[in-house]
Amino acid sequence: MTGPLHIERRLDTPKWLKVAVPFASILLAAIIVAILLAATGHNPFSTYHQMYSASVTADGALTSTFVYATPMLFTGLCAAFAFRMRTWNIGGEGQLYMGAVGASAVGLVLGDWPRPLLIIAMVIGGALAGMLWACIPALLRAYLRTNEILTSLMLNYVAGFFMYYLIYDSSSYWRDLTTPGASVFPTGKTLVANASWPGITIGTFTLPMGFILGVGLAVGLLVLIRSTRYGFEMRVMGDSPQAANYSGIRTKRKILSVMAISGGVAGIAGSSQIGDFGHVLDPRGLQQAQYGYTGIVVAALALYNPLAVVLVSLLIGGLTSAGFALEGPSFPTGLVGTMEGIILFTVLGGEILARYRIGLRHRAVTPASAGANFGTEVAP
Amino acid sequence: MTDSALDAGGDQAAQVAGPHQASGSSASAPGAMPGALAVQAVDMTKRFPGVVANDHVSFEAAEGEVHALLGENGAGKTTLCNLLMGLYRPDEGKLSISGRAVRFHSPKDAQDAGIFMVHQHLRLVDSMTVAENVVLGWSKPRRLRFSPRKVEKAVAEAAERFQMPVDPKARIWQLSLGERQRVEILKALYRGAKILILDEPTTVLTPQEAEQLFSSVRDMAADGRTVIFISHKLPEVLAVADRVTILRQGRSITTVPTAGTDAEHLAGLMVGREVSLEATAKGSEEPGPVVLELAGVSARGDLGTEALKTVTFDVRAGEILGIAGVAGNGQRELAEVITGLRGTTAGEIRIGGTRLPMGDPRAAIDLGIAYVPEDRMGTGISPNLSIAENLMLKSYRGKTMRSGPVLSNRKANANAREMIKRFDVRAPGPRTLVRQLSGGNIQKVLLARELSSEPRVVVAASPTRGLDVGATQYVRQVLVETAQHGVAVLMVSEDLDEIFELSDRIAVFYNGKVVGIVPAAGANRQQIGLMMAGAA
Amino acid sequence: MNSNIVIAVLVSAIGFGTPLVLAGLGELLAERSGVLNLGVEGMMLMGAVTAFFVSQKTHGPTALVLLLAVLASMVAGSAMALIHAVLSITIRVNQIVSGLAVTIFAGIIGLSSYLGQVWNIGGVAGHHQFNGIDLFGLQNLPIVGPIIFSEDAFVYASWVLVLAVLYYLYRTRPGLYLRAVGENPAAADAMGINVTAYRYVHTLIGGALAGLGGAYFTLALAPIWTDGLTAGFGWIAIALVIFAFWRPDLLVLGAYLFGIFSALGPTLETRGITVLPSEFYSALPFLMTVIALAAASTSWANRRVGTPASLGIPYTREEG
Repeated sequence: MTGPLHIERRLDTPKWLKVAVPFASILLAAIIVAILLAATGHNPFSTYHQMYSASVTADGALTSTFVYATPMLFTGLCAAFAFRMRTWNIGGEGQLYMGAVGASAVGLVLGDWPRPLLIIAMVIGGALAGMLWACIPALLRAYLRTNEILTSLMLNYVAGFFMYYLIYDSSSYWRDLTTPGASVFPTGKTLVANASWPGITIGTFTLPMGFILGVGLAVGLLVLIRSTRYGFEMRVMGDSPQAANYSGIRTKRKILSVMAISGGVAGIAGSSQIGDFGHVLDPRGLQQAQYGYTGIVVAALALYNPLAVVLVSLLIGGLTSAGFALEGPSFPTGLVGTMEGIILFTVLGGEILARYRIGLRHRAVTPASAGANFGTEVAP
Repeated sequence: MTDSALDAGGDQAAQVAGPHQASGSSASAPGAMPGALAVQAVDMTKRFPGVVANDHVSFEAAEGEVHALLGENGAGKTTLCNLLMGLYRPDEGKLSISGRAVRFHSPKDAQDAGIFMVHQHLRLVDSMTVAENVVLGWSKPRRLRFSPRKVEKAVAEAAERFQMPVDPKARIWQLSLGERQRVEILKALYRGAKILILDEPTTVLTPQEAEQLFSSVRDMAADGRTVIFISHKLPEVLAVADRVTILRQGRSITTVPTAGTDAEHLAGLMVGREVSLEATAKGSEEPGPVVLELAGVSARGDLGTEALKTVTFDVRAGEILGIAGVAGNGQRELAEVITGLRGTTAGEIRIGGTRLPMGDPRAAIDLGIAYVPEDRMGTGISPNLSIAENLMLKSYRGKTMRSGPVLSNRKANANAREMIKRFDVRAPGPRTLVRQLSGGNIQKVLLARELSSEPRVVVAASPTRGLDVGATQYVRQVLVETAQHGVAVLMVSEDLDEIFELSDRIAVFYNGKVVGIVPAAGANRQQIGLMMAGAA
Repeated sequence: MNSNIVIAVLVSAIGFGTPLVLAGLGELLAERSGVLNLGVEGMMLMGAVTAFFVSQKTHGPTALVLLLAVLASMVAGSAMALIHAVLSITIRVNQIVSGLAVTIFAGIIGLSSYLGQVWNIGGVAGHHQFNGIDLFGLQNLPIVGPIIFSEDAFVYASWVLVLAVLYYLYRTRPGLYLRAVGENPAAADAMGINVTAYRYVHTLIGGALAGLGGAYFTLALAPIWTDGLTAGFGWIAIALVIFAFWRPDLLVLGAYLFGIFSALGPTLETRGITVLPSEFYSALPFLMTVIALAAASTSWANRRVGTPASLGIPYTREEG
């Protein structure tokens, strides 16, 4: 290291720092975004105020926030779970599409089933479709060591085109071929009313069933990671694949199953899109929303903790909801992603910096961390 | 070049050397050395959080001198070198090179002053050629263009001039460790090294290669260069050095000429008390039945080439079989094959008569094979997990660590506390991350896990590498005791002393084959060395 | 007729392949220094939007405007790369996460889209663009004429760049040092090579080339700005580096091969040949990438050719 700064690892991060750093990071992000807004001729204060009202206080704003938060909760869990083991499933986007395809197929085929069964079948259908799609990069990763980042990502595009094919370019089962308008503007078949998922409505606010399901999943995944043998194996694999292999963990199966669970969770996001909100397979809408990629933001901001994913999904859901509500010349669409990116930069940077001590280069010279000196006698 | 340095440096160095001698801070004993002062370190101090790695260390070495720095692991030798090399900056103290006070800010500065170091872990780019490595970072005359052919020619000439025979077109990964070391030395000489620091250079060499190195070192000194030879091995220090500076616990104790001293005296200075150079006591009981059997085992290495060639041997209960050989002759693959980490292409392995399924680490664990891997931090330990979690790395599947379907922290912690006590691990508690422990304590955690599973076979690869004297003694003791309890121990080590000290029988590996198996009692060191080099 | 189609596909393949060559070379240089940059897609979009902005809002002779646009795209790309460099090299954020963050920040719903809207350049045709040059007066030669001798200056520049990178990597000292930094930073550091500086510089060059690749879209391929117009080319460029085994010569071949996959659909469609659905052709480059990555990893797993050994690993001197 020859930069002007030097960075050394702290042995223990004080508790207060762990709490203070994320808040400071978000505050810093808000300041940077304010500068960007001001630089492009917007008043940051009024923009922030509008955003707050458009995501929380305005009529139906909170409901809308949950509408956006729900898919992000699932895709956030998808990424957080896989990333925990350093298995980089970037394919949440495509797995969500396939989940939507699967769930809408189930909803169409089993439309005459009793509602509870039908809903369960849709959840399972979406999950299975997402799982199967995730198994492609997983198998390649486990047996050929093919980089799963790129393969899972490429398959997002493939899944997107597949979805388009189903609705726009074929006489597929999903496509509505009966109504006269549908031949000019292709759309998918609308599901029966029985297939729409019930939400909990309190006054003007509606809590989607998918969100409740997502919170349940988050708790389940947290327990799985924290206190089961499965989760223990994941943690060992994530920290040191060689140590995992050495201790007799079936590493290939592990990669497969973790990717499958991750893909399944993203698939349920697709189920929820069909069951909770859309009731029809809408390729364009799903693709424009970019929920799969946003899930990566959510997971990273939550530092891969499933429960934190719940909170962060609401934060980013609110941001996205405000973005759509305010969309127009004073609030271009791209601002949402820009803000997400800036928050990511500050939180990621802050999180690492909290674990390190920073000083100027000329004052002190880096010592070895306690572990790094092993075997090389750098410092006793 | 070296002649002129001898002439010109003389007066200058004498002038500067004077006052320091008078100040009395130098620990050196003025010997009748041939050349002028090349290196003078005065009161070098380097602190790290919670520890003083170098505490007012002083020594000096003359041109044409081989000067040894002798000390145990952890005595501060490497820190001192990193200070000389500009990798660290001293908190206090002065360093003069050829009589001129210097302050290095980077290795580049040190190299510009003519100081080069051959690290214990060689700093070579494996995928590049010898020639490319030699000119790396060195552009004199300064030009942008890089012509492989010209560079190869220049390096070939240099190799001849410095009598360091090596093929400039060969890629580093194709070379033996001894040859790689030669490339490192050539790299330094090519750049006009006046002062060469060798850090534990014989660790990976056969006795014959070491002899060859000593003769090169003497040649370099005869050319007027200064060689600083870092070691913890007494015989080689006596064989190669003119003077020795002894380091202990970060301090320089004294400097003595090697003429007129002996190993016992140096050892006493090094450890700080009277020592007798006796080996760990070995059990002399008769070994039991055969536990581990290899029959015609072959396997491929990482690069797809055949790394093990029809290896056949057995290890009995209560016996320590030492695997001697120069690193990279199939020992690592051997350990991995037995522990299921690597598949085989032929042959079979039996544990107490049961055939071991190939390439299945879990099956190996279940058959009672414990493994202390060479790469502790990478393979044996999950560094960012706690001591308790690392201790259950192989037992978490069983019922002992669970309450119902859920893993029990309470049981894991209780187990860890017991192990910490039994194996004398110095750690704040079971939740401490293993990464934060010292090397010796990490090895204890590893041994605790492996030996507490009541194995039938223990495979230990370089089990004491990088450990300080105390930890080394402890690990050796534990291995001997384990064998005495009727376990078959297979120990791989590049350190021939260790092999001789602990083994009942010695199997020598060369080029993936067992060259011979001999009883340790009465084995001939020179003979084993020749076998390691494939010459016998 | 059939040979006409082949030529048409090849001509179009050079067009689609050029941004891959540029962005791929950039990623190759960054990875050779040990930095994995997953932000390429975002950097390309930033290059595309700034280049288009400059070409639309600057007045002057076309050549000058295009030159300024190209320079602007490189600045924009390296600005994004600077974020990645600071996060991953200095602060040591995980390189995968940091690169993804850059792509999200700059990508389809991020800064590039925001700037496109703020600058109000969306949906209108460009005023300036790169046109084909009749090189050596050979453009009327059969077959090779339209493919090789009538490309635009951008394409010729990319060919020069390939040669330059080849020369740089294998015939210059900085190139040698770069390879050493990627393979064994500790060895390079011990020999006085500034590892951090090498990584910064090559990450920034990588960003500049990604920006340039993006500029090719809005200045030559289809002079118009729409959100996310690079459509995954940045990711294919990253994949290319892997199955070109980190070699510039193979990278060019791969880039044009993928140019062919990309060109197939549009060319056949304009000629009214619809054997397979258009979505299949659109998905083809991505499917082929998966297959190529899998194929490369079969031999790669055995021999591990070319992967810079320190790729993705932050360098700290103490650990050396």
